[in-house]
Amino acid sequence: MEEARVQRSFPVKPKLKSKARTPKQTAESKYWSSFKTQQIPDLISVPSLTFSPTAPHSFAAAHSASLTLFSAQTLAPTATISSFSDAVSCASFRSDALLLAASDLSGLVQVFDAKSRTPLRRLRSHTRPCRFVHFPRLDKLHLISAADDALVKLWDVAEETPVAEFLGHKDYVRCGDSSPVNSDVFITGSYDHVVKLWDARVGDSKSSLQLNHAAPVEDVVFLPAGGMVATAGGNSVKLWDLIGGGKLVYSMESHNKTVTSICVGRVGRDFGEESNQFRIMSVGLDGYLKVFDYGALKVTHSMRFPAPLLSVGYSPDCSTRVIGTSNGVIYASKRRVKEIEKEKVSESSLFWRVAPLEHTEKKVLRPSHFRYFRRGQGEKPSEGDYLVMRPKRVKLAEHDKLLNKFRHGEALVSVLESKNPGNVLAVMEELVARRKLLKCVSNLDVEKLELLLAFLHRYCTTPRYSRLLMGLTKKVLEMRADDIRGSQALKNHVRNLKRSVEEEIRVQMSLQEIQGIISPLLKIAGR
Amino acid sequence: MISGGQNYVSSAPVFSNDAKRLLVCTGSTVSVFSTATGSRVSSLEGHSGPVTALVVVPDSSTLLSFCWTASVDGTIRHWDFSVPECVKIIDLHFPVFSMVVPSLLSPREENDAKTRPDVFAYVSVQNPNAEANCLSPRCGQIRKCNLTNFHAVSSLILKETERPESLTISPSGKFLGIKDKRKLHIWKVPKVDSDSAVSKKITLHHSKTITVLALHPMERIVAAGDVTGRILIWRGFGAQKFMHSGGLVNGRSTNDEEDKPGVRENDDAESCSTWHWHPSGVRLLSFSSDGAYLYSGGKEGVLVLWQLDTGKKNFLPRIGSPLLYFVDSPDPSLSSISCADNQIHILKMPSMEIIRSISGIKANICEGLCSRAAFDYTSGLVAVQTENYGIQFYSLFANRGLYEVQVCERNHQPVDEVTVVVSLVELSVDGSMMGTVEVKLPEDGVGGLVCLKFWDLDDNKRFSVSTLIYEPHRDAHISAIAFNPTRRMAVSLSYGGDFKIWVCKEEIKQKGQMLQNSGWMCHAVGSYKNKAMRAAAFSADGSVLAVAADNVITLWDPNNNVLVAVVGETLMPITSLGFAGKSYYLVSVCHGSKPQLSVWSMSRLAAFWSYKIQIEAVSFTIDFSYFAVLALLPESNEYAFKGDGIILLFNVTNPTPMASWSVTKAKGGGLAFLKGYPSEQLQSLLAYINGDREYVIFHPHSKEAFELSRIRQDDHVLEETGQFGYTSIYGELPKFDPKRNLTSSISSAASERPWETIFSGSSHMLPPLTKLCSEFLESLLEKKTPTVE
Repeated sequence: MEEARVQRSFPVKPKLKSKARTPKQTAESKYWSSFKTQQIPDLISVPSLTFSPTAPHSFAAAHSASLTLFSAQTLAPTATISSFSDAVSCASFRSDALLLAASDLSGLVQVFDAKSRTPLRRLRSHTRPCRFVHFPRLDKLHLISAADDALVKLWDVAEETPVAEFLGHKDYVRCGDSSPVNSDVFITGSYDHVVKLWDARVGDSKSSLQLNHAAPVEDVVFLPAGGMVATAGGNSVKLWDLIGGGKLVYSMESHNKTVTSICVGRVGRDFGEESNQFRIMSVGLDGYLKVFDYGALKVTHSMRFPAPLLSVGYSPDCSTRVIGTSNGVIYASKRRVKEIEKEKVSESSLFWRVAPLEHTEKKVLRPSHFRYFRRGQGEKPSEGDYLVMRPKRVKLAEHDKLLNKFRHGEALVSVLESKNPGNVLAVMEELVARRKLLKCVSNLDVEKLELLLAFLHRYCTTPRYSRLLMGLTKKVLEMRADDIRGSQALKNHVRNLKRSVEEEIRVQMSLQEIQGIISPLLKIAGR
Repeated sequence: MISGGQNYVSSAPVFSNDAKRLLVCTGSTVSVFSTATGSRVSSLEGHSGPVTALVVVPDSSTLLSFCWTASVDGTIRHWDFSVPECVKIIDLHFPVFSMVVPSLLSPREENDAKTRPDVFAYVSVQNPNAEANCLSPRCGQIRKCNLTNFHAVSSLILKETERPESLTISPSGKFLGIKDKRKLHIWKVPKVDSDSAVSKKITLHHSKTITVLALHPMERIVAAGDVTGRILIWRGFGAQKFMHSGGLVNGRSTNDEEDKPGVRENDDAESCSTWHWHPSGVRLLSFSSDGAYLYSGGKEGVLVLWQLDTGKKNFLPRIGSPLLYFVDSPDPSLSSISCADNQIHILKMPSMEIIRSISGIKANICEGLCSRAAFDYTSGLVAVQTENYGIQFYSLFANRGLYEVQVCERNHQPVDEVTVVVSLVELSVDGSMMGTVEVKLPEDGVGGLVCLKFWDLDDNKRFSVSTLIYEPHRDAHISAIAFNPTRRMAVSLSYGGDFKIWVCKEEIKQKGQMLQNSGWMCHAVGSYKNKAMRAAAFSADGSVLAVAADNVITLWDPNNNVLVAVVGETLMPITSLGFAGKSYYLVSVCHGSKPQLSVWSMSRLAAFWSYKIQIEAVSFTIDFSYFAVLALLPESNEYAFKGDGIILLFNVTNPTPMASWSVTKAKGGGLAFLKGYPSEQLQSLLAYINGDREYVIFHPHSKEAFELSRIRQDDHVLEETGQFGYTSIYGELPKFDPKRNLTSSISSAASERPWETIFSGSSHMLPPLTKLCSEFLESLLEKKTPTVE
């Protein structure tokens, strides 16, 4: 048995547009592109960017011989420290963000008060340019630095003296990181392709672990759990398992040029599958920022900037991302946070406080209030309720109503006035199917004809519509030649039409030229 | 052997007395459908010619289920359709084209049971002598015959017409009428009918050819529709002739024109009014059972409901096909309309909603533009293009329509000329993929469009669009689609001289639950010397694609799009191509002035054997090296074979046919091998569908008269529990039974020891003595238990 046929009336529909085979954006890549980027120009190559670990997470950018502090909220510079004798290479905040250490190419490491920006200590021991300085995350008293003299030093900040020296690297040491779980463990990466894991408690400057990256190591970072490290060098970012004895887990090789900097960032969102997961962000000289999901071992987002990128930073509250380039522009991006999310954040940060008492007393609605008359209308049906559905009304556009009444000419005019070329084409095709299009054209009065000619001028060379419109244009010009001659406005339209046709012909000619060049090549390739 | 696909709309259907059954004339049988489910319940088989008239014997108790049928084979039969069996056969020796039985309709008198009058039928027959006698072209005759005691058709001829006209009877059974070109003839049925009783006749005139008429159930009102779409209503017809007993014979002389507004030529009617809404000829007219409304319909597929007094209209639009018959049922909430596209819709009445459809295979549309129907090998379905831009799926085994899909979303107006057409439909071997092509014809060279659509089966086994491709071969029309039997791959060919191979990328599972279908993509494009391509076929393992480029066959590797070989040359362009099962033979068919059926050997790349016959359709088995062709016979041979076509079954290795069957109406027919329906039947069945879309399925290899037990998969009909009529609105009435009412109103407390309790209680509650007496006496008697010896 066939079920009862539903009586339907089909409105005219524009042709479908082809869809992209892959969805344009995954949820995560939507997240990463929700950062709104703005440029901070007029600097000279930014080799280092570092975020303050405490709110409001201002960040410091090293550029030429000065260090500038920026506010993460407004992305405006708040202060500049310029008591350097050479170019600043690296900066680091202490875990409580009260101190700021910076190294320069003269080999001097200076420690500043982060608020007043007065230099408190000058740590001079490196003889070559110092490229790495870092406050351990769990230790407020010490400082790690490394320099091009292949030495790694652990400083007692208060006394301005190196507590320990770690020998072992055979080339420039340019990067390092401290363990997030142990105050004594840190790693450094060097241009001798080797990453070494040091333990401050072991005095004889012997590394506890050694990883071979197989390229000069540009950056190295501990993953948040502390058991793995990611190293960047050459075109690749490599993941290592420290607990498993330094085993290579994965090598991500989607950059085309040297990866200069990596950092760990969190997807700061409360919904979706990937919320609050950590990602590795890497930037390279090829101008790409890649976001790497080290759980799924795949690149989840990729973004291009118009300059070689040197450094990347991501604020711990997930709202700001900064990228430094070699041509002195910082691409600082802030995520647009919705009000609701902000509220949630503020509430969760105040969780220990006593929440304000909720209104326990419910107001009784009275007929004096408008809401009295709308009470209950927004109720959602519960599970067991039987829903009486009203049949959905098909909303018909004006031209559809006119077509249903067989008023073809009016339908054509109405859709021409609506300025949606897809709909105009759909109506025209329907009129063709009813054998009424040419009759409609011949019956249009001069004003409406102007409308039609304007439409034809605009769209007749568009490839999607040209098949029908080219033929129609020719017919219109043949049929309405007398009217066009009589009116100046129509003549103008025809002139415009002529121009666009000529241009189209020019385009076609040049395309044919290109085709002529390519086709012999293809023939040869096909052989 | 299974046959089916009959025409359901050759004549008007009839409801049974309880409105639970609908009797439909289907060729030489009458099918009984259930109105609650819309499926076939039984069929009355026995006539040897098409059944033309059907009269259900009315009965107030709705229990009886008798009907009379009349057929072109010259017999009238009386059936009990609930059993179903034939009760009585009357042989008239005249082909009957229409029959009405007035005496069944008129209310019977009280003394009916004793002196039951003979039942007379009025039949419209074709005079067999008229054919031989060329001088008198009037071969249609209206005659009477006595159904109760039949001897011969009454010699009294009421009227002679050019062709046998259909008789119309008023629901009261008092009048009957026919149309005859621009005239209406109406007879009054005599009170006591006999073979010789002459009925009184009046004639009403009109200026246009009348197409249909209807008589009012109570009053003397007749409505007629003409070819221009006008509806004429004569009120008070026969006021002089029928009412006054015989006195005023010449009504022409007495009355003035002013007294009878609108009546022509001083006809015997009080007034005539005209309504005009239909743009083309009126096809159906019917009064509602209470006589307050008139239904009309025509080619434009809109049922119009006229209020008879005021002329106000109500519409049921978008039925989508010309309307033919409107039938009321005894149940006021049901009625049916028959449409020209072989569908009977059952309407829920006051709201005029279509609640159910009984659908036959829709008829062929426009020969030139459409290819023939596609068959589904595995499930035994046929997919036919319909006029309203859809595809109808019809189960050949179950003989019923399954569903329809809309290919082109456009409102269909049956009146318009054909400008949009679904020109091609093709199913894959496993029936999981479908390709359709729709063509929008250009208007004066402006705006034609060809669309290719690929469809996939969705979860509830219906096709849904997967991919839509606009103008796949630029503006050239698509000539054929073929599916690869092993992969999700298809090829489309164009007359413009190129073919495209399409590949469906497998569905990508994303994030566990979200299915993302990436659809069909063009995989390769090929052409051979810019020759128009008309046919293509994949080999059984899907590794070779054969494409007919004009009159040569090119063989391609579909995966790498490499031309492998070119085979032979025929005289005419090849229009059909196929690999015979899993063998290395290719069969090609050419049409035109030099038709040819050729078999090519793939191993030698040369012709193997060929015939010069006109081939209408060809079908290949999937597993064996057999193929069947439907050949059209030249006209000179038609008498020798008793048909205009012949089905030949070949083995590819042997040019002599293994079997042959001659068939009729082969033009526009189709042929297909189907998988044997119950899986134990290993060999496949052959289905033949003729030009009128009637089909037969048989076993091609059984030598004996092919008798396949008819497979009924779901013929047991769920007995409908729905109520109808009064009960459907107000619920079941308590049975009114005067006797029971008397007794049950009195509460008689007959307990174990009635002599103690009988007289307890107030006196007005006491049962009558007549009731108590027997019980009282009985209780006094000593009960003897019967002893078993």
